Amino acid sequence: MYKEFEFKSNDLAKAVPGVYGDVQDQVNGMKVVGHGFPVKDAVEKVTGSLKYAVDMTVQNMVHGKILRCPHAHARITKIDTSKAEALAGVIGVLTHHDVPQNDWEAAWFNYRGKVLDGVGRFVGDDLAAVAAVSEEVAQRAIELIDVEYEILAAVFDFEEARSPDAPQIRVEGNERDPYIVEWGDTSEGMALADHTVECDIFYHSQQYASIGRNAAIAEWMGDKVTLWTSSQTPTETRDGIHEALGIPLSKIRVMALPAGSSFGQWWSNNFMMIAVLLAKKVRRPVKIELDNEECMSAVKRRHLEKTRGLMGCTADGQLTVAKIDHLIDNGGYGFKDDVGFFCVDMWGKALHGHYAIHGINTNLLTAGCMRGVGDCTLGASVERMCNQLAEKVDMDPVEFRIKNQIKPGDELRMQHSRDNMHHDSVEEYLAAIPEEYRDEWPKPFHLLSGSTEEILRRGAKSFRWAERWNGWGKPSSVDGPRHRAVGVGTGAHVCGVEFEGNASAMVRLNPDGSLKVHCSVGRQGQGSETTQAQVAAEEMGLSLSMVEVETGDTDSCPWSHGSLASNTMFRVGWATREATRDAKRQLLEIAARDMFDNSDPADLAITDGQVHIKGSMSDSVSISEVLNMIRSDTLGQTSSITGRPAVPMPPSTTFARHFGAQFVEVEVDVDTGKIVLLDYLACQDSGTVINPQVLKNQVIGGAICGAGFAIYEHLVFDKETGAIKNANLLDYKLLRAADFPHKAEVLFGDSYDPVGPFGARGAGEAPIAASISAISQAVYNAIGVWVDLPMTPERLIRALGKV
Amino acid sequence: MRIRLNVNGNAIELESATDRTLADVLREELGLIGVRVSCSEGECGSCTILVDGQPMTSCMMLVNQGEGKEILTIEGLGTPEDLHPIQQAFIEEQGFQCAFCTPGFILSAKAFLEENPNPTEDEVAFAMSGNICRCGAYPYIVRSVLNAAEKLQAGSSN
Repeated sequence: MYKEFEFKSNDLAKAVPGVYGDVQDQVNGMKVVGHGFPVKDAVEKVTGSLKYAVDMTVQNMVHGKILRCPHAHARITKIDTSKAEALAGVIGVLTHHDVPQNDWEAAWFNYRGKVLDGVGRFVGDDLAAVAAVSEEVAQRAIELIDVEYEILAAVFDFEEARSPDAPQIRVEGNERDPYIVEWGDTSEGMALADHTVECDIFYHSQQYASIGRNAAIAEWMGDKVTLWTSSQTPTETRDGIHEALGIPLSKIRVMALPAGSSFGQWWSNNFMMIAVLLAKKVRRPVKIELDNEECMSAVKRRHLEKTRGLMGCTADGQLTVAKIDHLIDNGGYGFKDDVGFFCVDMWGKALHGHYAIHGINTNLLTAGCMRGVGDCTLGASVERMCNQLAEKVDMDPVEFRIKNQIKPGDELRMQHSRDNMHHDSVEEYLAAIPEEYRDEWPKPFHLLSGSTEEILRRGAKSFRWAERWNGWGKPSSVDGPRHRAVGVGTGAHVCGVEFEGNASAMVRLNPDGSLKVHCSVGRQGQGSETTQAQVAAEEMGLSLSMVEVETGDTDSCPWSHGSLASNTMFRVGWATREATRDAKRQLLEIAARDMFDNSDPADLAITDGQVHIKGSMSDSVSISEVLNMIRSDTLGQTSSITGRPAVPMPPSTTFARHFGAQFVEVEVDVDTGKIVLLDYLACQDSGTVINPQVLKNQVIGGAICGAGFAIYEHLVFDKETGAIKNANLLDYKLLRAADFPHKAEVLFGDSYDPVGPFGARGAGEAPIAASISAISQAVYNAIGVWVDLPMTPERLIRALGKV
Repeated sequence: MRIRLNVNGNAIELESATDRTLADVLREELGLIGVRVSCSEGECGSCTILVDGQPMTSCMMLVNQGEGKEILTIEGLGTPEDLHPIQQAFIEEQGFQCAFCTPGFILSAKAFLEENPNPTEDEVAFAMSGNICRCGAYPYIVRSVLNAAEKLQAGSSN
């Protein structure tokens, strides 16, 4: 009923970092895809001229500041803005009385609530805003707003918040319905197990700690509004304004600008909505620029999480059961219930499984999706338990992973019915897929391509794993207090999601033969303005210099999720390629009819912007000649060609994942508790690599962010108020250049995805998860004790029983 | 008060309140947006400029501390048509992702390579640790600085 794809390998020679593109080129003959072109905005980046939202100004604009809640949970009983309004230079004040009482939702349940509703749900929550001629005046006016509060009971512990007697933070209640994934029967799985292990692990919260901050500038013209802001999710941000204000989408234009490091922080955020409403009230363009403390204490963060569970395996290392309960705290406005199902799939060869995820609100800063959401926590718990089982059966961690991790063709476990399926059960959903797609689409709920196996095998060889691994809990060398050991970890994530809508893109082929791609994605450093152009250039037969990409203007970019959930290359890249294919089809039809004697368009091809009969470059005509021909024809319908995807994309959560496997050597000082990373190899299976220069950087960046979470990073919440005590980079430590092995290398797998653009899949999130697990395991091998994250010197010394 | 600055080779006189930071004046009065301000407390190094050749975090300087000093921002280093070898090296090795931190890294690298024109990898990694790249391009930043060292050495021996 469904097409069983052939799993063809590109058969790339050994992926040598840096020359991978050349190898791929020789094999596939691709001219643009697979090459490590410098990113299109490289010159702007090194000359400092790239404009982020903080750099934007609009003529006539004024400055906004936000009044932040000083209490963990409080209702405004009276708000008097008269003194603030009387201050010279103040243009106007926005309170909850001015705000439509509509709920708006950020992408992927990262925020759900009203823009302002007179209740503060955490210290730092948005309560009101002032517009003034300068930031300084606006800040002074904020301090002149008189507020009377009714202090409400607060709850910070997410387990306490589950109790029906706990203070209720939201009208919907504190706890979401559990998100459950199950297969088989866990009691059978228990009976089959020769060994079981249990876990009860708490995870601290990581802060995005973005370098770059953010700003939002809103300007109204009549009843239409434009918002400039740094965002990974342009069209989702437009949708958020639509929901918050209740105005038609056609009256809203979001101009998403490049962001600093984001990792999910800058999607659609409530301060953007405040800028829109404040600008409307004062009838002037308003810029709200967040300072670093606001970025770290008033926007969002990674969830606090807890895994309780058990896993079991047979004596020969076959996983038989995974039974796991996982809690996540959503803070004040998060509404998420489903982290980490992607590690469920990766370790899905367990014979029986039951995973339940519980999302719970607390009076802490809102929690949202940070890169590798769930993978870095639930995934790390699963990896640790699997390591413990491998030790019990005395199996090498590489072999244990190869034996128990998913392979192409295997069933995916994440089959929970979603709203977007419009059916109560997965069975009904599958039955409703139109006949016309059944032969085309991959088999639903089965992994289509890629795995950890190839990258584990090749990575182990390259890292000399067999020589360097000395057995479970055994250092490879001991020099006084310094223990060295190696570790390996794996990670997986989806390649975008189809929930909430399908991705689209639009291309315009101009009369001069240049191509403009319009697709809604972020520019937070992952090179999408370049890699999307590479996809379009390859498809159209153009050089990269003839293709440019508009990523942020929602007046021209069709809807997509943007850059989240490792979506950009797989889903938007698919849309970009399909839109280009559609434009190419139109062009070749015209060319075949009018310039190639009514030949069959299928016999034509485009190379370097020249349309020609396949296999022959003689009698070729340029794209611009074809377009100028129809342009001069007064009966012609168009002078440029627009293309859009002509078919829907198959639902990618039902078949696509990307994978990481990473190898690390650490040195642990058992006297000081200090961990030093000595050597690093990050392997990545994202299918075809569109731009190896871009991807290797992104993969190592993920590894470094994971390493920070593994050994340093955590937010400290005040026990009395829940306020964040280390909302600055002096007290919240990030890794620096000398903290990570600068000889780190990247190795790419050679899988090929039949659906993804030129065989590519997603990339961004597996690397951070793999890194956390690799470092955790290496530390265990060095000292023989498992240490919970972050493995700070103090915690490590405690774990060793020395204090 | 009246402040005289020498920025990127241009003598500039301007009126400024004394409590403004040098970074704010460079950004807002002179339009030098390559002076990136992120943490505002001298930790991240994004706002690094060279003051009489020394890397300084301009978010931590009051404007009058720039009085009479030679200030170099990224805008004074190279142009799109004529990039400085360090900028060229950062492009070749892709020593950035989002690039918010990049001007600061490049200027730190310039000061470092003037002191140590032929550094080891470890020396580069240590010297680049005054700046933060949250995207984690560190290995490529180290390679960029080594590449730049080679370019500058080749340039000076010509």
